[in-house]
Amino acid sequence: MPVITINGPIGCGAVTIGQMVAEQMHLNFVDRLFFTEAARIVGTPVGSLIAKEQRVDRFRDRLGRFVQTMLERSAMSGVSGEPYFGRGIENLPPETYMDLTGEGGVAQKVDDKVFIEAMTKVANDLHEKGDAVIIGRGANQILAGSSHTLHVGLLAPIEVRVQTLVDREHFEREEAEIHVAELERAREDFIQKFWNVHPNEARHYHMMLNMGKMNPKTAAEVICHAAGDLAS
Amino acid sequence: MFPEVTLTAPTREDIRRMADWLDDPDVSAVWYGVGDDGKPLHTGYAPEAVLAGGSDDWGRAFNDANRVIFSVYSRDGEHIGEGQLTVEWPLLEARADLLIGRKDLWHHHYGTSALIGLLDHAFGPQGLHRVWVDVPEYNEPGLQMVRQVGFVVEGHLRKTHPKNNEWFDSSVLGLLSEEYPRRRARLMETAVT
Repeated sequence: MPVITINGPIGCGAVTIGQMVAEQMHLNFVDRLFFTEAARIVGTPVGSLIAKEQRVDRFRDRLGRFVQTMLERSAMSGVSGEPYFGRGIENLPPETYMDLTGEGGVAQKVDDKVFIEAMTKVANDLHEKGDAVIIGRGANQILAGSSHTLHVGLLAPIEVRVQTLVDREHFEREEAEIHVAELERAREDFIQKFWNVHPNEARHYHMMLNMGKMNPKTAAEVICHAAGDLAS
Repeated sequence: MFPEVTLTAPTREDIRRMADWLDDPDVSAVWYGVGDDGKPLHTGYAPEAVLAGGSDDWGRAFNDANRVIFSVYSRDGEHIGEGQLTVEWPLLEARADLLIGRKDLWHHHYGTSALIGLLDHAFGPQGLHRVWVDVPEYNEPGLQMVRQVGFVVEGHLRKTHPKNNEWFDSSVLGLLSEEYPRRRARLMETAVT
């Protein structure tokens, strides 16, 4: 009845390795499905929960949204002349200002307590049923003290992770570098905020694998071997 | 290039053809199989029952705000299949189901074209946030198709699909509104080249 959690920054290959482990050990594989189940409990679109984990609110994004909204509002209210700072500004809805300060947006609509309760329920339900590989989502923290559970951490040099995104998502290299850096920061913020720990600390895992020096197939075999000890 | 298809509201003739297609064991084998009574299973409505029923039955099947059903037509104006979106409005998401009933058109990308049409509708006029599919392991071509369109595997669950007294694994794949434009564009690029 093993449950295996696999955590790592984007581009480490957690999904690929998780699928291999699940296939070899005949386990359920749970990736984004974790969030969709939690969203069902909360009764909100899954994007609200994903944003909790992956939210990166860059100033230029906020500024872009602000300017865009102003332009639209100005156009709608028929203001001529200076488009950026015309009279349209008073018609801006309050949430736009909140967006500008990073206090608004869909992510904020799900209360932290509701969010973490839903996540905890999903993790505990999966643990109770057993036989699952769970990718990320703080599952290793939620199930930290649970029996028959193996927690695996992954690491990889940034060049490897960037290359993964270039190959898999067909990003341009510069775009991939930005994406990797931002999602890593968001992941650290997410884990820090809800569990007050750093996600890459070895003490939270039974083992950590450096995917810069190991191929996914080998990593999957190592994990399967270690998980076998749980059952014995 | 992908073949051109159009999605339209079903007619009674379309539903009659759906019933005929589902009666074909090759078609029902990749769909929902057959029930205990040996009759082919469908999702959302039972074609034979709707055809035998009155306007109320028709309305319940095809005028449901939580389920959008389209007939798929080829460029030549031939009815070739059916697509459905089963919507959960509070979550802004829908399950997509798609069947190309014309066996001679399988593996010619008609399913891909129809799925793009469904997704355009879901993320466009419907304003949905997520579309997902649940593909049983015995439908390998279907799995390949949705992955090609850009769906990502969100989970793989063991022994969830009963069919003909056997249980099969299935993969849940999802696509989010913010992921779709980039993946759609890439898919179209590959179609051109």
